[in-house]
Amino acid sequence: MRHYEIVFLVHPDQSPQVPAMIERYRGMIEAEQGKIHRVEDWGRRQLAYPIQKVHKAHYVLMNIECGQSTLNELESAFRFNDAVIRSLTLSRPGPEVEPSIMLKSQDGRDDSRRRDRDMSDDDGDSDSIDNGARV
Amino acid sequence: MSRFYRRRKYCRFTAEKVVEIDYKDLVTLKQYITETGKIVPSRITGTQTHYQRQLAAAIKRARFLALLPYTDQH
Repeated sequence: MRHYEIVFLVHPDQSPQVPAMIERYRGMIEAEQGKIHRVEDWGRRQLAYPIQKVHKAHYVLMNIECGQSTLNELESAFRFNDAVIRSLTLSRPGPEVEPSIMLKSQDGRDDSRRRDRDMSDDDGDSDSIDNGARV
Repeated sequence: MSRFYRRRKYCRFTAEKVVEIDYKDLVTLKQYITETGKIVPSRITGTQTHYQRQLAAAIKRARFLALLPYTDQH
């Protein structure tokens, strides 16, 4: 069992699928007695340059411990999944559990925008509830 | 003749006893690329050789993940 750090970029149109993808990969890793030490969802970020004519992507970081066969399986899953536009696998000397620097100093521009949208959704919901109460 | 006093260059990573330069630490990495996206040579920055190699690897990883640009002409 070795330690690996994996970062993969998901096409922004497929970003609602990201939690399901993480669960699928978790299943693949844990089926072979691997461990997941850290999973981070960096959210949708602006790319420094366009990849496949896409300017934004959803970043996910995973620190895992697994064997060679699981890693091969994961990498082929990335390769044949059209939603994954890029992935990087690094071998690491040990497990990493603390949140990475990316989460500590998140630019947060996209997050704040998403939060605004959630807020407006909430308002809409509460309005409908108010209407219901009035009726 | 006139002799310029130049501020002594020093290696920030040595001073801070950094164990490993992280490719995710964009704030630090951005200080070591030019506005055109090139890696700044250690003769300019004074980074120690050991750290300059780590820095180059970290910047290249960050570039691959589109966290940093390869050039300003994308």
